[in-house]
Amino acid sequence: MALLGGLARLIEYRHGKFAFDWSTIRADIMANLNQNGFAGTFGSPFSGWSGNSIPYREDRSLDMNGIMDYLTYNWIGKGWVHVSGRLRDAIAGRMWEIYNNAFEHSGTEIGVFSCGQYFPHNDTLLLSVVDFGQGIPAKVRTFFRQYTNEDLVSKLTGASCLKWAFQAGTTTKVGEPGGSGLDLLKEFVRLNQGKLEVYSNEGYAIIDRDGERYENHGISFEDTVVHITLVCDERLYHFKDEAPS
Amino acid sequence: MKISIEDKIGPRCIIKEDGQKVYDAILEPLSRGEDVTLDFAGVTQFASPFFNFAIGQLLKDIKETDLRRLLHIENLNETGKLVVERVIENAAKYHGDKDYRKIVDDILEQQAKESV
Repeated sequence: MALLGGLARLIEYRHGKFAFDWSTIRADIMANLNQNGFAGTFGSPFSGWSGNSIPYREDRSLDMNGIMDYLTYNWIGKGWVHVSGRLRDAIAGRMWEIYNNAFEHSGTEIGVFSCGQYFPHNDTLLLSVVDFGQGIPAKVRTFFRQYTNEDLVSKLTGASCLKWAFQAGTTTKVGEPGGSGLDLLKEFVRLNQGKLEVYSNEGYAIIDRDGERYENHGISFEDTVVHITLVCDERLYHFKDEAPS
Repeated sequence: MKISIEDKIGPRCIIKEDGQKVYDAILEPLSRGEDVTLDFAGVTQFASPFFNFAIGQLLKDIKETDLRRLLHIENLNETGKLVVERVIENAAKYHGDKDYRKIVDDILEQQAKESV
């Protein structure tokens, strides 16, 4: 949904026209699009966001309080998983790193698009964040071009670029320290048996309880899509000084 | 010198602009060898960009051992401690010299091995 919303905004940005034909959408999916505000955002007359879903969100700029409130109260704090206020705050802080990366590194001109979903059948909570910037491999290659020749840089695959970017302490920012955000996020996902998937240019990364894998896909696109999946099992989430429930 | 982070920044220590405000306030006293205490009472949410700027970038001017001796952190919860430690660790790596030409060669070598 975040990808679809972002694509629509990209078409607008490039002076194209788009329309969703709501009548072609299955009723159960339409109910979901109405509930989370997606349909209302794109002109469906029937909707507006209502209480029990995780809203679709568009950010043109890095709105700290807006995004942190969304993560804290509408995503993790919605009651899908019962965690202490302290832990809820900690999880929201980890997720912030995704938004920060999207705005800091991608150079997106149309913003960042996100949505979440709780899946009752397997008790998991998803957050998807999409930007339409240059992509992580492209950013890594641009960074390396400052230090070595184009022939070598052009041989770097999307998977290799993602693998480098996901290492602790690596950053493409010049003149400022970084490289902790993705590292902290990876650690959190592994510890809590969740899953982090990143599609960026032709690269794909997956981090889960089995480790980290990086692959190259045949299709390359300019954006970055991040999916985080958390298992809503309260026994997985507690600080050292909090007894597991 | 003691700074209440909640008073100066608020309950969320997230963005680099807020980290920069703290850095600007503490760089000079730390450079003079003064003790500085950052009190995080009332701060509930943390992310790495804040600490990269507030503390990580101090390592380009101040040695890690001096920083750990002079900078005192109070009332920082477990999450904040984890983030700040990781940022210091990575900032120390960042401020060391890196041979990116060699890094690219190493990545390509690894890539070649994996494609066999």
